[in-house]
This record gives sequence, C-alpha cells and structure tokens, in this order.
Amino acid sequence: MDVVRLDGVSKAFGPVRAVNALSLAVGQGEIMGFLGTNGAGKTTTIKMLLGFFRADSGQMSVLGADPFAPETRRRIGYMPETAYYYPYLNIRELLSVYGGLCGMDPQTARVRAETLIARVGLVEAGDRLLRTYSKGMLQRAGIAQALLHDPDLLILDEPFTGLDPLARIQFRDLILELKQQGKTVFFSSHELSEAELICDRVAILKQGSLVLCGAVRDVAGDGQQNLERIFLRVLGDTKAEGEP
Amino acid sequence: MSVGTRQLGALARLSVLELYRRKDLIVVFLLSAVILLPLAFFAPFGMTGASRYLNELGLLLVWLFSIVIGLGVSVRLFPPEFESRTIYPLLAKPVARETVLFGKYLGALAASVSALACFYLAYMLLIGVRQGVWCPLILAQAFVLHAGFLVMITALGLLGSLVMTTSANLTLCGLATVGMLTFGQRLPALIEAQPAPGRWVLQAIHWIGPHFEFFDLRQRVVHDWPPVGWGVLAGVTVYAVCYAAACLGLAGWVFRRKRF
Repeated sequence: MDVVRLDGVSKAFGPVRAVNALSLAVGQGEIMGFLGTNGAGKTTTIKMLLGFFRADSGQMSVLGADPFAPETRRRIGYMPETAYYYPYLNIRELLSVYGGLCGMDPQTARVRAETLIARVGLVEAGDRLLRTYSKGMLQRAGIAQALLHDPDLLILDEPFTGLDPLARIQFRDLILELKQQGKTVFFSSHELSEAELICDRVAILKQGSLVLCGAVRDVAGDGQQNLERIFLRVLGDTKAEGEP
Repeated sequence: MSVGTRQLGALARLSVLELYRRKDLIVVFLLSAVILLPLAFFAPFGMTGASRYLNELGLLLVWLFSIVIGLGVSVRLFPPEFESRTIYPLLAKPVARETVLFGKYLGALAASVSALACFYLAYMLLIGVRQGVWCPLILAQAFVLHAGFLVMITALGLLGSLVMTTSANLTLCGLATVGMLTFGQRLPALIEAQPAPGRWVLQAIHWIGPHFEFFDLRQRVVHDWPPVGWGVLAGVTVYAVCYAAACLGLAGWVFRRKRF
C-alpha cells in the first residue's frame, strides 16, 4: 500500500493554478524529496495532504485514508516551513499541549517529550520561553513536536531552513534513523544537496505540475550529474518547451 | 480520560496559559485591587452612611473589568493564531476543528470566570467590612448570572474573531454589550414609540440581540432586595447557554469552511 497517493490532483486559488493534475505515490519506508522553486505548489500539496483544504479535482489518500479525517492525522507528524509556535510557552509546555491534542496520556507525553528534547539538543533551553529561541532552536522544537506521537509518516516543509551545519548533520541522521524504523518521510526542500544525500526518490515540481520523478540514482543517470544540475536542466528545459 | 477530553483540556490550558502570561490581565487585577479594596475602608466626606453608593461603584467596576477581560480574551482567540500561523501545527494534529473551537472557548471562559471570581471575592470583602454581611444569597445569584453573561460574551467574541479583525470585533462586541446593558430593558418601549422602518430594526435587535440586561442584578445587590426566584435564575441561565450554543454553532460552521 502506498503511504501517500495523489491521482490527478489539482488546486486553484482564483486564477492561479497552484497544483495541476499531480499524480504521485510514496511507498512505506521511503524518503521522498519534493523539490521545486518558490511558488511551485509544494506547500499547497502538503496542506492538502494534511487536510487543511480539499483539492478541486483528483483523488488523494494518506496512509490509505482521507486526510480530512482527524484519525488519519494521528499517524502523521508535520513540521511547518517556518517554526510557528506559541511564544509564551516553553518547549515542555508546548509538547505537553500537543501531546494532549494527540490524545496521549500526560505521563507518556512527559516521558516522550523529555526523550525528544534531549534528542534535538534543547535540554538546557527546556525551561526558556519559545520567544527567546533562535530560528535554529525553533526548528529543533518543530522536529520534536512532529515526532511526539511517534507517527508513521513525517511531512516536513523545508526542514533544513535555519539549521546550522551541525544541526543539519544531526537532522539528516535522524531522518535516516527514522527510515530504518520503517517510517516514511515526505519533505519539501530547496536544499538540493541535502535531498541528494538522504532521498530515495525525488519529485520535481514546476508551476504546479510534476516535471520529474524517480530514484535519485536513476535521475542522476551514470553519476555524471548531481541533483543541482538536473534540477536546473529540468526546469530550464520545461521553460524552453513552454515558450513560444 | 477519553481522547476528546484530553484534547479539550489541552486547548483550554493553552488559552488559560496565554491569558495569564500576558501582562494586561495582571494590570486589570492590580487595578481592581487598588480601586475595590480601599473602598471597603473609605468614608466619603466623613459620611459613614454612603455604603450604597460605594457598593454600586464597586459593582460597576466589577462589571467593567469583567467586560474588559471577557471580550479581551475571546476576541483574541483566533486572530493571533492566523497571523502567527500557529494554527498550522495545531490543525495538523489529530483534532477536529470543532474540538479546537470548543476547547479554546472553554479556556477563554475558564480564564474569564476565574478572574470574575477574584473580583467578586474582592467585592465580598468590601461589603463584608462595611456592612458585616459576608455572603448574601443575592450576591451568589449575581455571581452565577454574571458568569452566564460571560458564557454569552465569550461565545460572541469568539464568533467575531473568526470573521473580523481583533479591533473591529472588540469595537462591535463592546458596543453591543454596553448598548444592550444600557438600553435592553427599554427596547419594548422604544419599539412602541417608533414608526415602521425603525420599529423593524429595533424588533430585529430585540429578537436577535443578546439580552445582557437579564444578567445584571446590581440594583438588587446594592439595595438589599430579595433574591430572584430559582425558576427565573434557571431560565436566564438556560437562555445564556442556548445563545452561546447558537454562536458556537455558527462559529463552527465558519471555522469548518475556513481555508488556511
């Protein structure tokens, strides 16, 4: 069974076609990189996968169910593009609130929160209010809240943004560790080098349409090209084709 | 404890924590302490028999502070979530939108009613010291109906917070609250005195508008009038719950359709 499945999904906001007949499947235990330039439709697709709004046409399922159902989201962990959390809470309180929202009992949530706070390196800042955190620290908090309820599918929107080199390495290791545990990771990114290092497959989106999808090693062909060159070539070719 | 209860508890806790960590509530508490408590020992112009005026002033302040807190909390339930985008990770959790709405409402109500309890305690101290009566039944009834008033304005403020900016919502709800508290009782007489188009408008306000004047027992408390009948108290409480439920139902409909 595909963990994420999109069949001809389209979404428009007024005259702007954000996602155009997108078909995509992500298997269990796979790390899928969802790449594209700004405004390509990555975040819109992610929002539809999380049930924030419905597609205008096409079919989509997440973990075999309707993403609009709250029960489906019990198995999804989501980290937003920019860290948006309550500035008047500390990380422990934030995770306690989110644990409650996930239906976890307080004791389990507390133990899990302490483990994750240690895992993302925020033990010393555990009692500080989130408004005092740096961007990188907020990203770490975001990772912790996404993993809190031990989800089967992780949807990460630009997860490497704002992370320092050490945190990037730690986060990359964490994603690979999650893959080894059988979790599926679906992430959007501009960081092509990171995507190349950890993704099993990549999908490249342009103006809402899928222009390339495949295993990283297949896309790279004989290994002569890196993902950055392929990205430039694919987007450049498409542009050339579309022009009169 | 069921999953739904845990979710509601988490959301309510979020609203209460936000309110108590914002400094404006502390300012209102300090103001109430600074103004209400000295009234207990104050003898204007050397007159010790001016208790009623002081009691009336004290209750007026309690009402004013409760409106400030009730509306101040409820109108800010959703706009900051939309502006700072904290709504995204919140809605990505396995929680229904209706639960988010109701949980936040319960949190705002809990915070407002707990603040109201503090104000009534201060007022009780005021009349206890001045008159030696510590907790008359009418004061307990006044507190219950005042809490009913908060049930309504919190729901009204929450509904407005989904469709208006914070400042527009605060202005509109503030005007509706003060307007109905002041003129609600006189509406039937005003309707009779008006020609056709104006009469229809006033009739619409009379039937749709929130009758906050039902909840105001200030005169009874100040003049030591007998308590209201229990049937009336129950009826007005049911009215508050039904009105709040209608507002929450409408808010749920708006929130379900809202695109983020």
